[in-house]
Amino acid sequence: MVRFGIEFVPNEPYWKTTFYAIQAEKKGFDNLWITDHFNNRNVYVTLTAAALHTEKIKLGPGVTNPYLINPVVTAQAIASLNEIALGRVILGIGAGDKTTLKSTGVEMRKPLAAVKECVEIVRRMISEKSVTFEGDVFTTSDARFFFKPRTEIPIYVGAQGPKMLALAGKIGDGVLINAGHPKDVDYAVGCVKKGIEQAGKNLTDVDVAAYTSFSVHEDLKKATEAAVPVVAFVAAGSPDVVLQRHDINQEKAEKIGEALKAGKWGEAFGLVSSRMIKAFSVCGTPEICTERITQLLKSGISQFVVGSPIGPNVRKAIDLISDKITPHFKT
Amino acid sequence: MDYRKIVEMVPIEKREKLSAKLIDFILKSKNADKMPSSLANIILHHWQRGPLTNEAGLAALLEAAVVLESDKTMNFLGEELQLLDVVKAIKAVE
Repeated sequence: MVRFGIEFVPNEPYWKTTFYAIQAEKKGFDNLWITDHFNNRNVYVTLTAAALHTEKIKLGPGVTNPYLINPVVTAQAIASLNEIALGRVILGIGAGDKTTLKSTGVEMRKPLAAVKECVEIVRRMISEKSVTFEGDVFTTSDARFFFKPRTEIPIYVGAQGPKMLALAGKIGDGVLINAGHPKDVDYAVGCVKKGIEQAGKNLTDVDVAAYTSFSVHEDLKKATEAAVPVVAFVAAGSPDVVLQRHDINQEKAEKIGEALKAGKWGEAFGLVSSRMIKAFSVCGTPEICTERITQLLKSGISQFVVGSPIGPNVRKAIDLISDKITPHFKT
Repeated sequence: MDYRKIVEMVPIEKREKLSAKLIDFILKSKNADKMPSSLANIILHHWQRGPLTNEAGLAALLEAAVVLESDKTMNFLGEELQLLDVVKAIKAVE
């Protein structure tokens, strides 16, 4: 049976995110993912508040990156979180996004190696007494905790490009595929499968998630309007090969990127086309969203993540998902 | 009079509607930063355990709504729910 995850961006006070987290747990969501960008509230503070007010839902960063947070600190944070929410902690690791890293003066050096090494260091810090490691990006020398982590923690790798997707399948307990269109998810699952095969695992050994930009409302227009800002950012950041896959004008996507960079939000959002919305979000009435999820499940995913913006009214959207969408997949 | 006593003045049949509206007010409020964390933690405690219609949860919710969205809350209580005595009691607390 497919699992449902939900993602929150901690760009509002902790109590709002926690309120929605409690609601998501009550409504039967399996996983809670909190994004990690330095310009929002801290991911682990947000997760701690959510952990203290929930009992069942699994929760973790979706995703953190090894450039801004050293792998040993990530291991420390999730091991500590796991004392508050024992057995419920999950960890998403990805390469991060270039724009955010650039603003901190951090270079995204050897992303494949960085993610691979980060996963290994985190796993070993949690399971071993002392870790000495020498990689291309990270090294540790007799790194050890002065406390004993309680249990192993499943690590998901966030990925979009073919090499990272294959790596994610190879080393991850789960994969977070950053896409919501069947064409992209089909392609991505194919790449993930290659990595899974290389590691001698089965597809069922790995929780493969479509991590989508999602917006639901009974009124299609309202659902769509809420999705536009997120789609603008996704379109502007998509590689040419993805734009071509969806027959999206590259020049237009570049113009959106330029407008976003200049802070001309109205201009950027005005350039978002219905084709872009279809390509880069799961958006519409509950019926439309249900149909899209059904298509995505055929690709072989085992988790569907409802990501930002979720809907024009988050509280009502969570109720709508629980009342009208998930029942189609939970029986 | 404290908010717990004020909530006791709200007829039981109107509490669900009041709770839903107050939740909307605080979640949509542009004054979210004014929320005292002590009050927020009480709301979250009760929200985890139930639908925020019990007296303790509703009292915290009402107090928060008055802090964040005073005019909207007063208008809803007075005009929509016709709870003029509740409005009067809140004004006395403020």
